[in-house]
Amino acid sequence: MIGVTVFTFGISQIIPADPAAILCGERCGLVDPTTGMTLLELQRERLGLNKPIIEQFAIYLQNLLEGDWGESTAYHRPTSEVVKDAAPITLEMSFFALFIGYPIGITLGILSAVWQDSVFDHISRFMAIAFVSLPIFWLAMMLQLLFSTGPDVGGICDPLFGTQGGCLPIYGRHDVALTFPDYTSITCSEISCYPWYYPSGGTGFHLVDSWFVTDDALSTLHPDYSTNRALFNDSLSHLFLPSFTLGIASAGSLLRYMRASLLEVLNEDYVRTARAKGVSERRVILVHACRNALVPILTILGFSIGGAIGGAVLTESIFSFNGMGRVAVQAITVLDFSVIMGVTLITAVIFLIANLIVDILYAVIDPRVRLE
Amino acid sequence: MSWKEGEEDREESLRRINERLSQIRIDASRSWKVFRRSILAITGLAMVVSVTLISIFADDIAVEHPSRDLLDTRDTWVNDYEPKRVAPFSEECDWHKQTISLTTLRRWDANWTTALSHEKVNPDDRTFYRDTLEVIELVSLEDNLGYDIDLSLVSVDEDNSSLIWISDQLISNTSYTTIRLTYVFNNEEMHHSWLPDGYDVCIFGTNTEGQDLFSKVLYGSRVSLKIGFTVASLTVIIGTVVGSVSGYYGGRVDEVMMRVTDVFFAVPGLILAMAFVAALQAVESFTMPLWLAILVPTSFLAISARSLVADSILPSSEKKSLASSDSIYSYFKQPVIVLSVIMFLILAGPWEGLFEVTDSWLWRVLSSLIIIFLVVGLVIADRAILDKSSFDDYLGRARSALDWRNPYRYLTLRTLAIFLSVAILHRLSGDTDGEITLIQDFDRLWKVQVALVFTGWPGYARLIRGQVLYVKEMAFVEAARSVGAPPGRIMFRHILPNAWAPLLVAFTLDIGGTILSASGLSFIGLGAEPYAAEWGRLVSDGRTYFPQDWWLILFPGLAIAFTTLGFNLLGDGIRDVVDPKNRS
Repeated sequence: MIGVTVFTFGISQIIPADPAAILCGERCGLVDPTTGMTLLELQRERLGLNKPIIEQFAIYLQNLLEGDWGESTAYHRPTSEVVKDAAPITLEMSFFALFIGYPIGITLGILSAVWQDSVFDHISRFMAIAFVSLPIFWLAMMLQLLFSTGPDVGGICDPLFGTQGGCLPIYGRHDVALTFPDYTSITCSEISCYPWYYPSGGTGFHLVDSWFVTDDALSTLHPDYSTNRALFNDSLSHLFLPSFTLGIASAGSLLRYMRASLLEVLNEDYVRTARAKGVSERRVILVHACRNALVPILTILGFSIGGAIGGAVLTESIFSFNGMGRVAVQAITVLDFSVIMGVTLITAVIFLIANLIVDILYAVIDPRVRLE
Repeated sequence: MSWKEGEEDREESLRRINERLSQIRIDASRSWKVFRRSILAITGLAMVVSVTLISIFADDIAVEHPSRDLLDTRDTWVNDYEPKRVAPFSEECDWHKQTISLTTLRRWDANWTTALSHEKVNPDDRTFYRDTLEVIELVSLEDNLGYDIDLSLVSVDEDNSSLIWISDQLISNTSYTTIRLTYVFNNEEMHHSWLPDGYDVCIFGTNTEGQDLFSKVLYGSRVSLKIGFTVASLTVIIGTVVGSVSGYYGGRVDEVMMRVTDVFFAVPGLILAMAFVAALQAVESFTMPLWLAILVPTSFLAISARSLVADSILPSSEKKSLASSDSIYSYFKQPVIVLSVIMFLILAGPWEGLFEVTDSWLWRVLSSLIIIFLVVGLVIADRAILDKSSFDDYLGRARSALDWRNPYRYLTLRTLAIFLSVAILHRLSGDTDGEITLIQDFDRLWKVQVALVFTGWPGYARLIRGQVLYVKEMAFVEAARSVGAPPGRIMFRHILPNAWAPLLVAFTLDIGGTILSASGLSFIGLGAEPYAAEWGRLVSDGRTYFPQDWWLILFPGLAIAFTTLGFNLLGDGIRDVVDPKNRS
């Protein structure tokens, strides 16, 4: 953790932008009559940039602990707020991606291991490598093309389901119609358009929050979205494509791990014992082998959350989700260093927490680990 | 032991080398047999080879050069005939018909224009050229608002069918600023030899500038392969050095290194690379401070020489004391002290800017001091040699030093290298900036590469560390250590050659992964410049017209997927080959 803070601080030090100069903009040269310093110098002093690096780092650490993550020069808001608005969006997408990717990967992995060296095995191994090789951003756009457009440019939904212009929305987190009833009353911050009808202080996950919208708020909405379920479905349909894209990528690597892990387990003595005492093959694989094969898969869970967040950088900008990835990209284009630091830090924290949970789960599931 | 006494040893080593070579030959043929069995691996190999061939012969296959000058400003005649944003194999791709825009306002000197083809690249000398076209028939003439004008106002020259004459009436009419003339021309010369009749550029369609996407995708393979190989090689080198040191010495060194890699693993690679590219934004050329460029190789050589000296020259008692001390510090002590003094002198120099070497008298004084210290360091490192041997037979010594079978050649090479670097240091000490430029034009592609190396090495370090830890416990390493082989020798001669297999697999897979990440960075706008022939950038450029112009996305993305898939399949195949389970 300390390493990460050193790291983010290091990045902020080598980024060539002067945050003070960005903050005061064109008025940097003006002289403050009371102190006799220019605005640039005043800003530098306010931000503590004229102190030695070590002291700056100490101040940075202290501020982090106190919850002050600095101020975003691009959004003119505290970085912690910017990150707080963006993080749930990315997390929701990543979790849902794993929710899609894990069943696919594990199922295919099991089948592939059971039917080792069959045609199915070869095809699924090829698919695993292909899933990992596909550029996420390209896959996302191809899926958009298939599911979110009319047949004139290649959409497949309209002839199949009789929809107009594709069956899944092409971008955004919720239907545009939801923002129409009273545009001004929406609490739309600069980076994330959080709908006003969602309860304040909610989780930020649309899939969850949509169930807690009050009836009063629902009655003001477009008639198509007058129930919680309709809101949920809307969020789900918007979330599906980006998550599916990310899920595919993680399913590929998962398939390979699952296959290898299960093949190893199938050679173990206890599997042979189970077979010898006449347990049905299905039960041997699903109960005896898979349970043990899934334990090492758990380790990858932590890493795949990190991978999904990294991939979210690309999908978010394609599907117009104002999550951390998009915020990071925008921050980097305008050299908003405190947001870059904040996003890097929060992804690291999420990754570490995920791995911690995985470690604990590991101990819960596998008694052998507990003994050691 | 003198040089002459070692004759038997040398013969023995030659015999061993030959044995090893034949063993390698047998291994290779067996590996190929395993490899050949897998259809996927062969497919991967074929894909990689085809992409490589495409990148080599892009000049011959491509229809046009990807970065040709789009607006030829020298020509007052704006030839606007390229079909823009045209779908692959569509009607508009039929280049028998061309529409050109003529600006009538600026035309006062001549009444004619030449029908020219689009700019093409000469495969022989790679210069740009345009063909003149034979106009067969004039089709239509429009003014800038799209109204038809009498076609008889323009005519094709009777002697030269590529000349089009414009009547005075049209030019003197000031209500026309531009006119658009469409004509049918004889397409034969413009044809690329292998393209079907009538389709000149539109295999993958064209982009918003009228550039041929097919050519761009072909040339993009060069950029991607270059990035893939450069980044993968550099990460392998850095990762191997860090990982093997960490794995071999263990203890505190290992602890520190692994915590560093932990930090890298905690942040998603793409976000880290993005931040790093942003950090490099203001860097225009990649330079290395002179002192660093001199000191790093020198110190490296000095450190490795120390153990070599200990191995071969030192009396056994001293060797024993060296070998028995497990601390890494004892090996590094002398060079470290010397180098830290030098560093201190450079850093503490009373000039402005910590790392800037200036052209001042102070710098000259200090550079001389540095040289003195370097020589002192050299003498300390070589003390054992200087003590033990005389310089009488220096010609013979030199000859034996250049003999590649001489086990002491490292020492000679090392000494040469140190003297050379000292000479370079002295030569450059009067230099104004005192920096060695490694990459002159440090463009955004380079930044992406540096960022990917920066984020990529921890993975290799972990891998190699694991391998080293595994191999280190084997009996032959134990044996080497028990006969007093120094760490450097054990590492490079015994451990690394036995740890290369997973490294090769990771290298192959990493090329694919690097191509993927580099295109991702280009896609979010941090890599190649707009309209550059780089796959990620092409997708990014095409996004504006998505989903209408789907071909702008589809084909570059397919190219990325194809190449990455090729390398991944190949890596997977190699993994099967080197997997001990498949050896039987």
